[in-house]
Amino acid sequence: MILAFLLLPSVVIFIVSFLNITKQKTVLSVVSLLVLIPAIWLFFLPRPYPILGPYLVADDLNTYIFLVSSIVAIGVTLAMATLDKHVSISLKAYARFYRFFALFWMGLIVSIMSNNMGLYWIGLETATLSTVYMIKTNQTSFARRESWNYMIVGAIAISLILFGIILIYSSAKPILGEEAMNFTKLLQNAKNISSIFLFETGFAIVSLGMFIKMGFFPMNLWLANIERSSFYPIAALFSGILESAVILGFFRFSHIAKIVNFSHVFVFVFVYALLTIFIVSFLIFRAKDFIRLFSLSGIEHMALITIFWVSGGIFAALLHFGAHAFLKPALFLSTGVLESQGQYKIAGALRGYRGIKGKLFYFLTSLFLLAIISLPPSPMFFSELFGFSSMIKIAKESHHLFLMIGSIILLLFLLLIIFYKFVEIYQSMKYEGEVVEKRVYTPEVYALLLFAIALVVLITPMSFAFIGAIS
Amino acid sequence: MENLLIGLFLATLITAFFTTRLYRLILWYSLNSLTLALLAIFMGMNLHDHTMITSGALTLVLKAIAIPYILKQISQRFNLPRQLEPSIKVYYFIILIPAILVFTFYLANPILSMATSNTNYVAISISALFLSLLLIIEHKDIAPQIIGFLTIENSLFLLGTTATEGMPMMIELGIFVDLMMAIVIINLLFKTEHT
Repeated sequence: MILAFLLLPSVVIFIVSFLNITKQKTVLSVVSLLVLIPAIWLFFLPRPYPILGPYLVADDLNTYIFLVSSIVAIGVTLAMATLDKHVSISLKAYARFYRFFALFWMGLIVSIMSNNMGLYWIGLETATLSTVYMIKTNQTSFARRESWNYMIVGAIAISLILFGIILIYSSAKPILGEEAMNFTKLLQNAKNISSIFLFETGFAIVSLGMFIKMGFFPMNLWLANIERSSFYPIAALFSGILESAVILGFFRFSHIAKIVNFSHVFVFVFVYALLTIFIVSFLIFRAKDFIRLFSLSGIEHMALITIFWVSGGIFAALLHFGAHAFLKPALFLSTGVLESQGQYKIAGALRGYRGIKGKLFYFLTSLFLLAIISLPPSPMFFSELFGFSSMIKIAKESHHLFLMIGSIILLLFLLLIIFYKFVEIYQSMKYEGEVVEKRVYTPEVYALLLFAIALVVLITPMSFAFIGAIS
Repeated sequence: MENLLIGLFLATLITAFFTTRLYRLILWYSLNSLTLALLAIFMGMNLHDHTMITSGALTLVLKAIAIPYILKQISQRFNLPRQLEPSIKVYYFIILIPAILVFTFYLANPILSMATSNTNYVAISISALFLSLLLIIEHKDIAPQIIGFLTIENSLFLLGTTATEGMPMMIELGIFVDLMMAIVIINLLFKTEHT
């Protein structure tokens, strides 16, 4: 029953996108708001709740991630309502975007709610393939090239994930049979897996596929190019929703791998993520436009989440994940508006907004920009504090305290470079350049307000208690 | 019989590297899928596994017949260049392919001691994956890159069939659906590119 409600909005969007009706654009935006209803409903059901037997199960972790993704989806669809005011897009392309958004959302539901490795992969593949065509809604040669690029590199990444899944399944099949595909069963029987090398090889390949999809080393610029070439709501979907599904998979797999051999997982992920942050911080320092800047910053935050997660800071990782999922789409949307018709540069971008809507837009954009670099009381400030403390805690237990302190100092230095660059950009947006009259539209301001409210709710004691209870 | 088919699987993939014509490349992909389908059917018959026989039959219909046919139609409809110009010189593959095969057998050695059955097939499927990646790197044109992507799918199917003696039917069906969706997307991408 709940599955039907989960899938219903996307089915309706898919059908409406084919109909030749007046006000199709408005109908599509309104129908998209329905995705939030089943997400909230899941919170009132006992957990773990079987949505489809043992295949799709709602637990605390995926319910939280699904709710966050639903809020992001609504913010994005609100901003979509006035996309044609900022970029040139035909009504046909608009309907096509929603058609593939519906497929994307179906794949995402399967992927996030899945308690089965194979189904998780199928959902992720569906979501990946549907985004290929969403990139193509921007009909430029750059977007065309990048959509093919995404098709090939995304397919390689997703193939690596399936390759790893097959190896993991193969390692656990002797003890679990066909149930070796089930995440819960794997977690319960992780200590009994005899072919540890086979499992760890599978985990390393799965992680590599996920890291490629998230734009980790050495694929840092790949994601930035794709987000630059597509329309800004698609960049917001990438960073706020697709990466959520990928990181959820990483959470699930690493949870099992940590039981099999904790130190191997820790060293592999920690070194990989640290290397990624090292490269990305310098790339951010050289970034010259908004979208590339935020895209690279998204990679940095994903790397931080993985570090916190493998360090045992589950609360820190999930809080950081939630904050990133709200902040990054908000920034992509607001800078999409700032770059309206491609005519505004970084210098003076925030100047020229008049009226209540304009002032509110100015205020919210500044707030998001300062929150992404973890200035208090941003949720990222708290998550980084908790994350670093969990790193120290784990180092004390493993007798590698000085090595970890050295790593934290290096990490802080790299974050400092990013902090410096963001502050410099903020100053440039606020004080430099000419004052040109600019316009912002009501749905965009509503979208940003939604993200701002979601961020405030995220740092309430109630949210902290919920996230803290997720294990 | 299985050994012969696995040999043919690798042979059809290797031959694809030396092809400079698009239709011929599609044909080699089709034959590659055919050997894979027959392998799954024979293994399924030996193991009395109906799931594997069904997925083998689906592979035969979908990957050996339907997808090559659709790809040929797409290439004709959008006038894709039939002459392929590899970015890596073809004769370098005489060294590269054996090197990859030896390397993957060496890489897969620790895994082989752990896999319960069909150990050589696991190593061959891993080498097929590397070779498919090489096929993508070899070409600059989109059409042969798509064939490379499809042969990655084939090598993964081979791994799923041999290393695990078949994955659950639900998963395999899902993978087939995703593959068809990929073809639809490819078609749409070409369509918008030419309108």
